[in-house]
Amino acid sequence: MTASSRRFSLSRRRLLTAAASLGAGVIAAPYVARADEAVLNVTGWGGKWGEVMKAEIGPAFETEFKCKLKTDTALPFLPKLQASSRSAPVYDVLHTNSNEQWAAVEMGLVEPKVDPRLVPNIADVYPYAVSDKIVGVCIFTSAIGLGMRTDKGYGSITSWKDYWDAKFNGARGGYVIPANSLGQAFVMMCGTLFGKGQTDLDAAYAALEKLKPIKLVDFTGAMEKLILSGEAGIGILHDSGIYRYDGQNQPVDFVTPKEGVLSLEQVLSITPGSKAKELGNAYINYMLRPDVQKRLAETVWYSPANKQVKLDAKYDAKLLTTPEKVSKLIQVDWKWYNAQKDEIDSRVNRIFRA
Amino acid sequence: MPATGAPRVNSLALLILPSALLFALFFFLPIGLMAVMSVLTGNPVVMPHVGFTAKHYARIGNDSYYLEVIWTTLRIGLWTTIVALVIGYPLAHWMARIRSRSGHALLLMAVLAPMLTGIVVRTFAWMTLLSDKGVINQVLAALGLISTPLQLMYNESGIIIGLVHIYVPFMVLTLTGVIGRIDERLEQAAENLGASPWRTFLEVTLPLSLPGILAGSLLVFALAISAYVTPILLGGFQIMTLPILIYQQISANFNVGFAAALGMVLLAISLMLVIAYNHVLGLVSGQRELQ
Repeated sequence: MTASSRRFSLSRRRLLTAAASLGAGVIAAPYVARADEAVLNVTGWGGKWGEVMKAEIGPAFETEFKCKLKTDTALPFLPKLQASSRSAPVYDVLHTNSNEQWAAVEMGLVEPKVDPRLVPNIADVYPYAVSDKIVGVCIFTSAIGLGMRTDKGYGSITSWKDYWDAKFNGARGGYVIPANSLGQAFVMMCGTLFGKGQTDLDAAYAALEKLKPIKLVDFTGAMEKLILSGEAGIGILHDSGIYRYDGQNQPVDFVTPKEGVLSLEQVLSITPGSKAKELGNAYINYMLRPDVQKRLAETVWYSPANKQVKLDAKYDAKLLTTPEKVSKLIQVDWKWYNAQKDEIDSRVNRIFRA
Repeated sequence: MPATGAPRVNSLALLILPSALLFALFFFLPIGLMAVMSVLTGNPVVMPHVGFTAKHYARIGNDSYYLEVIWTTLRIGLWTTIVALVIGYPLAHWMARIRSRSGHALLLMAVLAPMLTGIVVRTFAWMTLLSDKGVINQVLAALGLISTPLQLMYNESGIIIGLVHIYVPFMVLTLTGVIGRIDERLEQAAENLGASPWRTFLEVTLPLSLPGILAGSLLVFALAISAYVTPILLGGFQIMTLPILIYQQISANFNVGFAAALGMVLLAISLMLVIAYNHVLGLVSGQRELQ
């Protein structure tokens, strides 16, 4: 046997072992490299919001705070949080609409409020963003009003009550109320319009009964498609669901009813068992920064909660960016609504069954 | 001398062990957990004080709405099964008896081709056909036959159309194997003895294919009553079935216990129907072993 053959003797076993080790090393390398890197688990939306978060906002946060931001965009979030351990929750920061935040706080899944000392940018938000109707802190809001087609000759629409007009029969879009925030907020609006106030459910049920025939969808994205395709001529929608088609020559418009618009809040809260609370608070503070708020607002047409944000004229003209405009927002008492949710769901499921 | 009293393990039985474990882990364990959750006041993994309760079942029994949902689910399942059988049986018979190999292959491809597309895509395809602005209504309106759109979806009929399209291949493939194994000489003997082709079918082919009808029907029925995507899209959220209600309870009401109770009710009713179906078919066909 020569010296060289002893030095480089390569058996099949050695080759396989070396290949397996190399493979395992390649696979494990990123995890080993990030072993000490903090991870912040948050929830978030898909679509345009998800795109800009993934491309710009998220990476910038990771670089600045030297962490990994893991975002779950697969709904529903609350059942996953509900099923996870209280001491090691699946999310550190929960981002949902207000109704789910109230359900979460009732179940002890999130902390009721965010500490302003740990999130200094809270000092700059509009009062509605930290009002007693909000769990955690609201970072953006949309105005819930009426989305409609402009090419059907429906004429001028100024009031929520126009939604009941017989000319919209068969062309009216609504929501699966048990599953949708806008639908649930609309129930409260019905009580206000036709009864003694948000909590007048009998008046609301009677009003809902008169909306048939109606086409129901579960998400705002589906409502947008319903209106864009012409299947519906009018539907309950948030302003961003219409404004995002700005410049695309679509025959759609958003109507701000004279009675006011309902508030669709984007809310962040911290889970009590989170092991990354400091980072979670930093994330909330980061999302309230004027530059981050401006970028997101001008991408998804959400109204920023931070009153220091200066939007470009096109956005400023349409979004809720002044105290006067913000004063039109009607906030829903979700705590009360969630306490009645089973009863309401049972009733509206009966009302809208075919 | 070997010990005669020691139990001998059949080595072949060991081969069944992995699949038996898999079955226990992914079938019995989830159903067992669901049964337990349906009688608890909360989730014992995350809540400290959890007790037993019958409130979820009482809620189902005391509110006629839930009974209506159960009946709607079963009605859709039964209609889907019947229509799939009526459409699938002649096709399966043709496939089983066709002499041409290429003809059989073409038929098989025709049956299998829709299965190569996802259920969501196929359901959306039906929506483009059946909606108010869909192909059918647009064509009828263009021909001047209708002035207002026909209500082809957002109702039970729309759901049944979609489900039948999706589940007919399951019926056909199940029936083809059974009909193909029927000895054709029995049919020839019946015809030689003077029976008409129709009577031969009714008295020879149909009874002998009952096991296939039973298996195909149970498969389609089970799939139809547990369907979620098609009922929700073609029903336009206005037809409530148990799977939709169960998902709603978990995702929007966060009431896992009630959802589990609804699931157990669906399972119990399905089992009862399967047993009854077996019994009736056994009596009709005279095949006592079916009972």
